[in-house]
Formats: sequence, C-alpha cells, structure tokens
Amino acid sequence: MSAANPLDALLGNPVSWLADKGPDEDIAISSRIRLARNLADLPFPINADEAKARQVMAAVGAAVNRLQVVDTPLEFEINALPALDRAFLLERRLVSKEFCEDGPGRMLVVGKREDTGVMVNEEDHLRVQAMCSGFALPELWDKISAMDDKLSSELPFAFDPELGYLTSCPTNVGTGMRASVMLHLPALALNGQINAAIQGVNKLGLTVRGLFGEGSDCTGHLYQISNQSTLGESEEQIVQRLCTIIRQIINHEKNAREKLLSTRREFLLDNIGRAYGLLRYAYTLSSNEAINSLSSLRLGVDMGMFAAVDISMVNELFVLTQPAHLQKHAKKQLESAERDALRAEVVRDKLKTSGHGG
Amino acid sequence: MLCEICNKNQASIHIQEIVKGQKHSLHICSSCAEKKGLSEMALQGINIAEILYKISTNVSSGQDIPDLDFADASPDEKEEVFSGASCEACGWNTDKFNKTGRLGCAKCYAAFKDILKEALKNMHKGTMHVGKRPRGPGAPGSDAPMLEIMNLQRLLDEHVQREEYEQAAKVRDRLKALREQAGEAKP
Repeated sequence: MSAANPLDALLGNPVSWLADKGPDEDIAISSRIRLARNLADLPFPINADEAKARQVMAAVGAAVNRLQVVDTPLEFEINALPALDRAFLLERRLVSKEFCEDGPGRMLVVGKREDTGVMVNEEDHLRVQAMCSGFALPELWDKISAMDDKLSSELPFAFDPELGYLTSCPTNVGTGMRASVMLHLPALALNGQINAAIQGVNKLGLTVRGLFGEGSDCTGHLYQISNQSTLGESEEQIVQRLCTIIRQIINHEKNAREKLLSTRREFLLDNIGRAYGLLRYAYTLSSNEAINSLSSLRLGVDMGMFAAVDISMVNELFVLTQPAHLQKHAKKQLESAERDALRAEVVRDKLKTSGHGG
Repeated sequence: MLCEICNKNQASIHIQEIVKGQKHSLHICSSCAEKKGLSEMALQGINIAEILYKISTNVSSGQDIPDLDFADASPDEKEEVFSGASCEACGWNTDKFNKTGRLGCAKCYAAFKDILKEALKNMHKGTMHVGKRPRGPGAPGSDAPMLEIMNLQRLLDEHVQREEYEQAAKVRDRLKALREQAGEAKP
C-alpha cells in the first residue's frame, strides 16, 4: 500500500454533483438514486461473519473493476480509515452515517468524479449509487440501471419473482430503489408555508429529510425528498411520481419567491444582504451560521442579485465549510473555535475571488 | 395434552421453533406461562432455547419449579398457537427480526412469510414486484415472461386511462406476442 492517503485524490477535486450545471439548478441542488442489491446464498451483512463479509467485498470489488461500473475507481476500506476521513466521505455524501461505523468487510468504491459509487456491506451487500447536479431523475435512472445491468451480468443477485430484489430491511424490498432530489426552499420557509408543504409531501407517500439524510435536520432550508415505497410500482413509475410532485414543489417555491419580492421586498433583501455581509466580512462562522447564510446568499444569486457569484461555488461551500472538510484542508485536527475561524477564512477567500456584482 | 411444566393442567399454549432443521416444541398451560412471565406479547419474540434451557436446568437440578401455583388454572382454556419462526438457512429468528427490523439472508423472506405479509402491505404501495429483473446469473428463467406480462398489462391500462392510444397499441402488440410465447412454452 502506498503512503499517500488516497483520500487526497478527492480533496482537491470539485464535487461534480455540486459543481456541474444541472436542470432547475436554481431550486434543485442535486439528484441521487441508490439501489440495494444482495448476493444470493450469502447472509446479509447484519448476519455475516468477517470471512463471509470479505467474500462479498472481494466479489463485488472485482466485478466493479472488471466491468468498469464506475469511472477511475478509488477503493476505501472503511475500517482502515481514521474517523476524520470517514466524516469527510459522509460530508461528500459518498457514504451513509451507518456505514461510517466499523463493520466487517465494509468498502467504498467511488468514481473519481464522485458521481457514481458502490458501498459494499452497508445494510445490504451492495448499495449502488449515482448522483448528478440539478433535477434529472429519469436520466439518472437510465445511468444507474445500466450500472446495475453490468453488475448483474456477473453477480448473482438475490431476487424473487414475487418480491423482487431481496433486501436486509423489508422497507427496501422490490426495486431496492431510493430516488431523491435535494431542494433549496428558502422562500417557502420565509413565508411560513414549508411545514404545510412537507406534510403534503408526506401524505403522498414521500419522505422529507435534511442535507445529510436520515436523522439530520433541515438547516439551510435544504430538503431531500425521496420515495418511501419500493414494492408494487416499477422504477419508472416511482421516478415519474417523484418528478410530478417535485415539479409542483419547485413551482410553489418559484411563486413564493416572486411573491416575497413583490410584497415583502425589504424583508427579503435585508435577509440576503445581511447574510452576504456576514459571509464576506466575518472572522468567525459557526457551522449553522454558515449554512443558513449560504442559503440566503444562494437565494440572492438565484434572484440575480449577485451576478459575479457562481451558484456552483455557493453549492460547494455548503460542503467545504463542514467540520471534516475544514480539518482536511488544515491537515490537522481543529478545535471548534479554530474551525469557526478557518470556516470564515475559507468563505471570505472564495467570495473575494468571485467579486460582487451588486 | 398435559402442560410440560406442571404436568397437571391441560396445555393450551404450543410453541414450536425450527433451528437448522431441528424442531423444538413446548406445550404449556396458560398459568405456567404467566408464572414464567410469558405474556402473549412476549411470545411473539420468544427465545424457546432459553425457556427449554431454564426448564431443563430446573428439572435436572432436582429443584421444584418455584412460584408455581396450579390451583386456579382453568381446564378448558382456549387453545392458542404461537409459532416462533426461524430461518433454516441462516439461523435468524423472530426475536432478532423484531429487535433489528432486518432479515438475516434472502431465504428469510420465505421463513418469515407470515409475519412479513402484513408488514409489507403497510410499508409499500403493493405486494407484488413489477420493476426490473436481473439479467444475468440471478435471473429467474421461467417466471420472467409472466412478470413482464403483468407489468405490460398495467402499463396498457395506464395508457388507455390517459387516452394515449398510440402507445397503448404498441404495448398491446408486445403483450400479445408475449402471451403467445408463454402459451407455446407451456406443455
């Protein structure tokens, strides 16, 4: 094994699913689909010993590489990574919270562009994932389905004609698919309609979560909307249903933005202006302060108030200002106060170079 | 059948568990069950090995089973059957499933079919998979056309409902071909 940390290969990279241009990028930050798959005849990870788990890891690792399921794959054995590196991968949304804990045979294979990857021995043997910027679920489904076809040409997946793909948790059985879109909904939050919108979405059988998935809160007005049911509908039907509802939410947010601008202009501009001031000139920024101010800045950019500020840069700052990213940037462990200072510095630098279009 | 603990009352609770091909069963009266702290709720996730172990150690050590009072046991209690299922292939049991919400292997779906049936209905939009199927070694050969037929039938209904007749016609033709193919394949 080489001495260089393979994670460094990711550190300098822009995160493609945040930095690229995507459809409806003013409101939809990114789209993501993951498929749960298991190898027939081997126990699920929760019931597997080290030897069986490593058998899965070897089989999946070999297939992913040989079949070129992801571009320029990088492999990380989770148990071998220090906690900081695991948190770094979590902040880039390449792994789940659960996957960051020690577990037999846990391995992440991720493409260098970070838009495709496979978690091995998470809750299921394989969690295949694909991500992209903006709102593009049908295209993403085509992409991940092709990855799945490649894998299934070699790996014998556990499948039942009645129940579909068999998964460790029965909530994923059937398609094994979870499709989600990350939405930025500040105007619905500012005018107090967000809770009603979330309740409506829940009633339609969809789930709403925060930036970092299960159990995270919705700071920065970032909401992940995903399907709940995986059995009884085809993948295309699930994607279609999600698209219809998400399109409606995007339209609601657009209307709310227009309405705020026409009826509460001063309130809106003040909110955005103060956030910009804080980000541009502050010397310490807490994590929540940064996320909430970036959220307001993003709204300002979307509404054309900051011509010189690139929305991709704002998107990336949501991730670059997270604790593990700051510490990887500093190449050392930082106390909370040190992180707040570095966070402010990173944000100031980015905003300084991009200027201000007024 | 008499209760295997007190050998006095009619056994009204029957517990059966199969672990790795070995069948264990226990027949007890409701009074003994209660004394052992086995409510109906507890029996859903029962560990029979533990109960059998407790009983056998009590008996072999020559002690009386303490705290048992058979005086008020009614002889004609309603018969109840509790089945603590377990998976022959991987050893996973109801207790583990209840605790973690997860299954131990693909074959657990058959082993816990009864428990899963209701749960799946509550979790999902339907109870039948209508999505894609694996193409390679995991592909279930003979069931494939049947599933596609079901899928296409559903799609056809949707197109007709939306008055998309051109697409509906295409699906109908594909369905017809598949049905003929499936008909030929059957003896």
